[in-house]
Amino acid sequence: MKDFPKYLLSRVGLPESHTLRTYRAQGGYAAIEDVLKKPWTPEQVIGVMKDSGLRGRGGAGFPTGMKWSFMPDITKDPRPRYLAVNADESEPGTCKDRVLMEKDPHGLIEGCLIACFAMRAKAAYIYVRGEYRLSYNRLQAAIDEARAAGLIGKNILGTDFSCDIWMHKGAGAYICGEETGLMESLEGKRGHPRPKPPFPAGSGLWKSPTTVNNVESIFNAPFIVKNGAEWFKSMGVPKSTGNFLLGISGHVNKPGVYELPFGLTARQIIDEVAGGVWKGRKLKAFFPGGSSTGLLPASMADVVMDHDSVKAAGSMFGTAAMIILDETASIPQVMDVTARFYDHESCGQCSQCREGTQWLHQIFRRIAHGKGSMADLDLLVSLSNGMAPAKTICALADAAAIPTLAAVKHFRHEFEECIRLGRDPLRQDTQHAPELHEAHA
Amino acid sequence: MTKIQINGREVEADPKQPLIRACHDHGGDVPMYCYHPGLTPVGSCRICQVEVAAAPGQPSRVVAACRTPVSEGMVVSTDTPKAHDTRRECLEFLLKNHPLDCPICDKAGECDLQDYSFNEGQGKGRSSEPRRKLEKRKSLGDVIVLDEERCILCSRCVRFFSDVTKKPQLTVEGLGSRSVINTFMDKPLEGNYQGNLADICPVGALTSKKFRFQARVWNLSKTLSTCGECSRGCSISVEALRAKEVKRLRPRYNAAVNQWWMCDTGRHAMAPITRPLAPEGAVLGGRLRGAAVRGYNGLELADESAATALAADMLAAHPGALLVVSPFATQEEATTALELARALKATPHFVSPAANNLKDDLLHTGDPCPNRRGLTELGFAPIEPAAALAALAKAPAAVLAGERVLEILGHEGLAKLPTKLRLVAYDVETSDIPALDVVFPVPTHVEKSGHWVNVDGHRGVLNVAVPPPAGVRRLDANLAQLARKLAATPVGS
Ligand SMILES: Cc1cc2nc3c(=O)[nH]c(=O)nc-3n(C[C@H](O)[C@H](O)[C@H](O)COP(=O)(O)O)c2cc1C
Ligand code: SF4
Ligand code: SF4
Ligand code: FES
Repeated sequence: MKDFPKYLLSRVGLPESHTLRTYRAQGGYAAIEDVLKKPWTPEQVIGVMKDSGLRGRGGAGFPTGMKWSFMPDITKDPRPRYLAVNADESEPGTCKDRVLMEKDPHGLIEGCLIACFAMRAKAAYIYVRGEYRLSYNRLQAAIDEARAAGLIGKNILGTDFSCDIWMHKGAGAYICGEETGLMESLEGKRGHPRPKPPFPAGSGLWKSPTTVNNVESIFNAPFIVKNGAEWFKSMGVPKSTGNFLLGISGHVNKPGVYELPFGLTARQIIDEVAGGVWKGRKLKAFFPGGSSTGLLPASMADVVMDHDSVKAAGSMFGTAAMIILDETASIPQVMDVTARFYDHESCGQCSQCREGTQWLHQIFRRIAHGKGSMADLDLLVSLSNGMAPAKTICALADAAAIPTLAAVKHFRHEFEECIRLGRDPLRQDTQHAPELHEAHA
Repeated sequence: MTKIQINGREVEADPKQPLIRACHDHGGDVPMYCYHPGLTPVGSCRICQVEVAAAPGQPSRVVAACRTPVSEGMVVSTDTPKAHDTRRECLEFLLKNHPLDCPICDKAGECDLQDYSFNEGQGKGRSSEPRRKLEKRKSLGDVIVLDEERCILCSRCVRFFSDVTKKPQLTVEGLGSRSVINTFMDKPLEGNYQGNLADICPVGALTSKKFRFQARVWNLSKTLSTCGECSRGCSISVEALRAKEVKRLRPRYNAAVNQWWMCDTGRHAMAPITRPLAPEGAVLGGRLRGAAVRGYNGLELADESAATALAADMLAAHPGALLVVSPFATQEEATTALELARALKATPHFVSPAANNLKDDLLHTGDPCPNRRGLTELGFAPIEPAAALAALAKAPAAVLAGERVLEILGHEGLAKLPTKLRLVAYDVETSDIPALDVVFPVPTHVEKSGHWVNVDGHRGVLNVAVPPPAGVRRLDANLAQLARKLAATPVGS
């Protein structure tokens, strides 16, 4: 594989990479200093973010600069405004933000300061997945260091820019990573997503204008400010610029988090980055971007890993969390586990999602245990079409329906085999979770 | 007003209300579960889907009407195949775990799930999975019982407390398909507004302990009426089994008075309107069956015209009579009582008991006189029970008239009145009051028509929900007759 410039993970290998000293030694906080002292206008910062073409790394790939520009004009709308950083990272397969928070927390803090400056936000709230204890502690320590150094709080670096950064620990719900569920949770309520409109930029945290961004999206900001849009666009492909963090897991020799430019094929990533499918086996299928993105069969492994190409292949780039399944994996079992996750994590507001995620799981579970019927396959498709697209408050229902449709489309024969035989020929003796609903029996 | 198109018709929609209101106002039949016009919309059940395009010819999509603002020129269809399909899908999900115990469910017959399933649903279920097994009769306090299996998690009940009484008491517990409604920390519900939950629950999950298994709702007649428990006079519907036996009182929407709600005191005020009759031939021990006069053996049932003649003679012979009416007297009854007051040359009074401690900042006024304002406007002076009894003790004669007037004055005090007092009463029931000479039965407020005027001056209507017992005449007719007789035999003659 060709060599390419790296920046996202450039500091994580350094000793004490999470400390202010190391960060400063690497030129840290120069970007915010430049923004404040030159000084830039907020519009200039948003401008360079827009020009860079950075697309959100939280799953939907929405252009970050554009999102920032949606915040209302402060001269017409004097409400306080906020940045919420989505560090809930709970999509199965996704584990990239954690690396940044644990190893390079000051990078995220500098990103928050730049974003808050650009959007004239009073404060940033970082919503950290509850299980990420080290991330939380490292970030908190970094915030304390930065505050002591005059980088957070009132009159940052002696300028009239003031900004606070607060942390909030999640309590283990996937749905609190959905941006409006996150805001409800931050406000101390149940993480029930809010219907849109109103959109967060109009009415978000405490009914004030709010922007929600993924950790990695924010982390990119200081680099873009420092090096310019052209530099950023020189990496990747025209419509997916910069580098991204790949989290690759499953049946590969070298699972992990890697920094990559957009434009490699899935096969290149599996073979050249992750050391190939393990145990000398062949690839059967992969989720390109986390469990909510449609499963693709090995025959489609030549898809280029950027937002638009993966979409054209009928799936989604998502959070670039590739999950690799080798030839011995049973797709019915994989779907049983996947559907179980959504059944467990649906917040339960919307009828289709609450009942549908449970129903899909029950069907997959039966099929995987040899108790399915052929009619189940059409039912799976029909139910998924009743749940998505965009029929519910948030996209969790879609996240359950999309992989279902993909699995039935690409692996119908495998389900049919299980149903015909009355057992799963590929079943492995994996430890199985207890029956989900037995609490109600 | 915003101009939009609904099912091909140009209509005007209120821009402050969600699209579903415009649909309902203009004949679009859009189902709803989580939406309730009195609660903050959450848009979660997803049943209210309609097809919307921003303008004619623009691409359309299906949206939840209860969370969609109206916008100028928008084209709405409630009846397209796409809208119906989306709603049918949603219903199928809602029925997936529903126990379908309609035959034993109180809500059957007025259940939104049943009704919409009938209208839109598919006849056959596609789920062979076991249904959710949950608590079937969880007590939430003295008023309400929850059937967790029937709950469709619309959260109306949760929002009722957070939006209406402003004291949150319920919440959704658990996640996803394991969600259930519960009170905080399992504490029983409190407050005087719990009964509303049974009305707003779109299914049979929250039912009223008092009404449970009392009647199938399709056998209930519904009569527009007004609650008499306080001077708010909430608009209600009096619901009677086969138009005979009152089984339930429920609030009826009135924008100016009570919106959609009523308090439990009013809702459960059944005793005064479901009193049993006195035994056949008896005067005491239940509702009066007819007029009674004092004979050698106490009060005895008597012919009504004879009793009226006796009353008139007595009052004519003893000038200076007091006239005290019940605070339940209607404007119509009070108007004839004024005629009587003129004939008696008496100052008209109504008995006004002290305020109770039920006053709150939602509906209950704490004033137990439903027609205080109307009676005052007609010129009746309020008199407290104790003051009235003191005046009666000194009076030569008196007329006490109207539903529950004796009870409000207090049977104990009345029993102590001197027997030289010539006392004529009109009430639903009497006790053994030695001073009482003549008594006539009256209908209760659910057995007559008329109206009250509430604390803010709104007229509250009364209609005949159940017939009065045989032999019980309207009070205004009786008072008018007495007044006529007195006019013919002038007082003091
Ligand atoms: C069910 C669900 C869970 C989500 N979880 C996360 C998450 O854990 N982290 C995240 O960054 N975005 C998550 N998202 C996406 C967010 O809603 C939001 O789009 C994202 O944080 C925006 O950031 P970006 O614009 O920087 O990509 C989730 C979305 C859904 C529907
Ligand atoms: S789609 Fe599912 S997770 Fe999202 S709001 Fe609705 S019920 Fe909750
Ligand atoms: S109990 Fe009734 S009102 Fe409450 S959430 Fe369930 S269905 Fe809705
Ligand atoms: S009535 Fe509109 S979503 Fe429930």
